[in-house]
Amino acid sequence: MKSDTLHMMLVYTKTIMKAWFQYRSNALLSSLTVFLREATGIVVIYFTLLKFGTLGGWNIYEMLFLFSLLFLTYGIMIIFFTGLRDFGKTVRDGGFDRFILRPRGLLFQLIFTNADWFAAVGHGGLGIALFLISAGRVGIQWNAVNILYYLFTVMGGVLIQGAIFLLLAALNIYLLETNSLKELFYWNMRKFAGYPISIFHKAIQVCMIYVVPFAFVNYFPAQYLLRKPDMAQYPQLYLYITPIVGIVMYLAAYGFWKYSLKFYKSSGN
Amino acid sequence: MIIFENVSKFILNSVSIHVPQGETVGLIGASGAGKTTFLKLACGLLKPSNGRIYTMGLKPALEQKELCRGLGVLFADIPVLQKEDTVVGNFELLRSIYQINKDRFDQDYHELSDRLGFVLLSDRPVRDLSLGQRRRVEIGAALIHRPGLLLLDEPTAGLDENAKQAFYELIRERRREGLTTILTSHDMEEISKLCSRIALLDQGKHLYYGTEEQIKKRFTPMDTMQLEVEGRLPDLEDLPLVRYTVDENRLSLSYDSNCVTAAEIVKLVVQQTVIKKMKIRKPELADVIVRLKTNDKAENLSVDHEERE
Repeated sequence: MKSDTLHMMLVYTKTIMKAWFQYRSNALLSSLTVFLREATGIVVIYFTLLKFGTLGGWNIYEMLFLFSLLFLTYGIMIIFFTGLRDFGKTVRDGGFDRFILRPRGLLFQLIFTNADWFAAVGHGGLGIALFLISAGRVGIQWNAVNILYYLFTVMGGVLIQGAIFLLLAALNIYLLETNSLKELFYWNMRKFAGYPISIFHKAIQVCMIYVVPFAFVNYFPAQYLLRKPDMAQYPQLYLYITPIVGIVMYLAAYGFWKYSLKFYKSSGN
Repeated sequence: MIIFENVSKFILNSVSIHVPQGETVGLIGASGAGKTTFLKLACGLLKPSNGRIYTMGLKPALEQKELCRGLGVLFADIPVLQKEDTVVGNFELLRSIYQINKDRFDQDYHELSDRLGFVLLSDRPVRDLSLGQRRRVEIGAALIHRPGLLLLDEPTAGLDENAKQAFYELIRERRREGLTTILTSHDMEEISKLCSRIALLDQGKHLYYGTEEQIKKRFTPMDTMQLEVEGRLPDLEDLPLVRYTVDENRLSLSYDSNCVTAAEIVKLVVQQTVIKKMKIRKPELADVIVRLKTNDKAENLSVDHEERE
């Protein structure tokens, strides 16, 4: 990596950290708010499962492990992809025009000029907490292979979600506003992803595997480590391909992004 | 430096213009005439529907990254600075983006911050600056990488008089070093002070490109002369005057400066009488815009009228 690129990344990161953590108590409270907001849903599921025991054959700790992957990958992803999540606003504010007028890669600037650290700390913190609570109680042998698998699979999960945001940002160029699409295809699908997909109707399963593949973010990776019986209804290959799905999706989304940029129209006219 | 060949986009209709290097061009016209669209086309933010554009020898929309290295821009609707960062932090980022040599950067930052008056604001976050302070910093940011071409949309909006003068000085100095600048402004005095050439847009049509004097002669050639004479009133029947009124010993004359000069009028008057006082009013650049607007209104009224009939 060129030294000036590295310098630019450092300057951007310094700026972001300064901006987000300028008021420390506010930063702490904001991160805590995100953490508690997301944790509330988990607490509800926890108490429900205390009464019913299992959900589709998954006990409470296995469910928490499933959730931990979802939150951890989002927490990491949002450090890099906030600019894509908020792309519509950046375009409306004229910020994207500013990036175009600078002799640097557009995606590079989008990625490194913003990071929602409150979401990163809130979601990531919850992901780590859930992992710490559940990882020792679900019977996983944390040997080198499994640790490596876990790391690669987290990277794949980050890329899958990043690709979804990149795709939505590219669509924003044509549609000018994609908040409803984001709500429908990301946030709503993500709600399903907190549960074993085998409990849902076939149509939702197809959606979770082939349309918005959240199943590869947490369900199949968790299945690799937990080997639950409901995996029998899916190809075994799916247990291993999360990083590949992530890379392929990201490259496809990047291609679409590059192509879509030709159709970008400046705001303010 | 900039070539437009029959360029059409939004309101702009088949605009052709060639701006050579080293010129400071004032892009004038009423609101909605297409000035910002022109600048956005020149820097590649917009692509022309028709025609060809070359900026610094490059096709702006296709060779954006390369073009941006030598380009300084300032638009009202495009934020230049990161609000959360300090002034100096923003410039550090620009240093990195444009890969400016540290020594040269330090020297230029010192000079720009001193002359534009933001040296004491260096450590303040941009979001805490007033509109005028922010604009001074933005002008500095547009110049810090020593661009060869500056495209400025209303650059002095919100600036106080001192900052305006500093800005004019900087542009004049950089022009001597070869900088080409195209700027829009509704302040015609500013355009007069700063620009070597003027491009006039009217409802998307490129009406004129030339010096201020030429543009005024073409669009508002009517000069006014007020005379107070002692003795008998002069006979000016032979002069091609447009308007001629007399009030006791005071005369008010309107004439087309393309047909008759002030010197010719005075010469004839002094042959016949004594001039006590004389005042000549030449049209201002603003009169060109007013006249075009009046013509547009008249045209619109006439079209409305025809449509109703």
